[in-house]
Amino acid sequence: MKFKRWFEWLAPICVTGGLACLVADGDPALSFSQPTSVAGVALLIGGCCSGLIHYVSLRRSVRTLMHKAGELASGRSIGIQQLTPTEDVLGELVRTFNDMLGSTERNASDAVAAMKELRVQLKVATSQRRQAEAIIHSIDDAVLVTDRYDEVILANESASRALGFESSDALRRPVDRVVNDAALVGMIRDVRQGKGTNERRVFEHRVRRNGQDSIYKVTLSNIRDSSGESGGVVGVLHDSTREIEIARMKNDFVSSVSHELRTPLASVRAYVEMLIDGEANDDKTRREFYDIIMAEAVRLGRLIDNILNISRIESGLVEIKRVPVSLTVICKEALDVMTPQAKFKDIRIEEQLEPAFYQTMADKDMLYQAVLNLMSNAVKYTPAGGTVTLRTAVDEAAKKVVVRIIDSGVGIPSKDLPFVFDKFFRVEANKNVAKGTGLGLSLVKNIIETVHKGKMMVSSEQGKGSSFGFELDLC
Amino acid sequence: MSSENNDQSIVVTPSSTTSQQRTILVADDESHILNVVSLKLRNAGFNVICAHDGNEALEMALTSKPDLLITDYHMPGLNGLEVASRLKQSETCKNLPAILLSARGYNLNEADVRESGISSQLSKPFSPRNLLSLVNQTLGIVA
Repeated sequence: MKFKRWFEWLAPICVTGGLACLVADGDPALSFSQPTSVAGVALLIGGCCSGLIHYVSLRRSVRTLMHKAGELASGRSIGIQQLTPTEDVLGELVRTFNDMLGSTERNASDAVAAMKELRVQLKVATSQRRQAEAIIHSIDDAVLVTDRYDEVILANESASRALGFESSDALRRPVDRVVNDAALVGMIRDVRQGKGTNERRVFEHRVRRNGQDSIYKVTLSNIRDSSGESGGVVGVLHDSTREIEIARMKNDFVSSVSHELRTPLASVRAYVEMLIDGEANDDKTRREFYDIIMAEAVRLGRLIDNILNISRIESGLVEIKRVPVSLTVICKEALDVMTPQAKFKDIRIEEQLEPAFYQTMADKDMLYQAVLNLMSNAVKYTPAGGTVTLRTAVDEAAKKVVVRIIDSGVGIPSKDLPFVFDKFFRVEANKNVAKGTGLGLSLVKNIIETVHKGKMMVSSEQGKGSSFGFELDLC
Repeated sequence: MSSENNDQSIVVTPSSTTSQQRTILVADDESHILNVVSLKLRNAGFNVICAHDGNEALEMALTSKPDLLITDYHMPGLNGLEVASRLKQSETCKNLPAILLSARGYNLNEADVRESGISSQLSKPFSPRNLLSLVNQTLGIVA
């Protein structure tokens, strides 16, 4: 209201005018007969009144402004209504105040929005961290993370099992108190301190728990932060005990195979050398030598076949054709093949076979080989006049079929029984009874247990005989 | 040796003490080794006696007093080193030279081997030719 603008000036003008009139009068005595005096007094009074009104209105404006400012001060920053600027001297202030309100409100909204976004990011980050922790806790390898003060900041389940501590006790505690392994703790410290040029160290470490030794492949990595300082060490321990054992077994197998193959070959060489040097003086001796050389060559061939067979089965290269197979039928087939040999040694064969309709899901050729091997052993290690019994039995309730080959042969010493299924193992006491590669039983065990998930059984009494058998699931 | 023998491994020098007179004791539990070794050595003109285990070897050595012992290590009863040791301690056979046939897989301590009086070793599988030349070398025979 433009009206209000002049109001500002009205009061001082009236007062000045009033005073001027009174003074112009020249008469010090105030008398109401002179028109200028009257005008002067009227102006004065008018001026004072308008000044008063103006003052009151200004005060109201100031109060409102104060109130708004008070709201702002108390922390509210959003939703404060702007003031309507008055047409007086405070108008400018009000306009400026409104501007300030506006920008404060905008800043506050921005801040709130930013905070909301940060909260969401924090949630995401927390959930990602939890997920990463869950992943770390579930992996098989032991994970142990220490900070720059050598305190444990993360240890998964595998780590507490491997190193023997409670994971709940470990957090934020010095690693040398948590892990009772001075050598390992020392290595962690060395890596953190950056000793040596490598930021990552890989080594084998032996840990003894519950009286058993385990060998771990340990990888310690120094984690550096952006300023190049060490932020800590991440340690991963991988249990390589089994792997090392397997590698050693493979090594042993290769050595055994080489030795086993060289032996018949060496015999062949020796006898050929004797022939070349003319040591075989007569036909009889020469014939003997030829026979031995032939037998050794055949043996070598069989050995190679057996080794290849076993290796192929064990490495999964052989295609297994599973069909419903009757063990009774297989046993009968094996019997047919073995009967001439048994007759030649005057060994009686007894059959105790269940009806043929009981079947198992199996590879026919492999099962046949297994039964044949067992039967062949029984006949080989039974002296003339003995008995070999071939028996199948079915347990319908347990859904199992059992095959047993029982002989009245030389038997196996009890100290050797745990090893009969080992590759190349031959019972010392029976080495002269029959020739063998030492692989027959290993192949049988592989076929029955590994390929068909069955169970091998053996019992024996030296001098009395042996009983070899296996159990498979019925169809 | 029979006249049909076209064996070329015997060299008989007229004036030297021929290998005909030497007796060699061979001890091994594997009969085919005994057969090969005795045939080779007999064809070379030696007299060969065989033992199938350590105890038999010890007994035969003390009774027959051979000129050389060839023994396997792993045998039933006494092993080759034990046989050689005992002979070294005996009156009759203390200077008996001995050759050990060692199988792969038995890591024998060198000191133990020397201690028992074994003068040389031949690892199995060995060539019969190499054995004969070692025998000749040990007995100082120029073949």
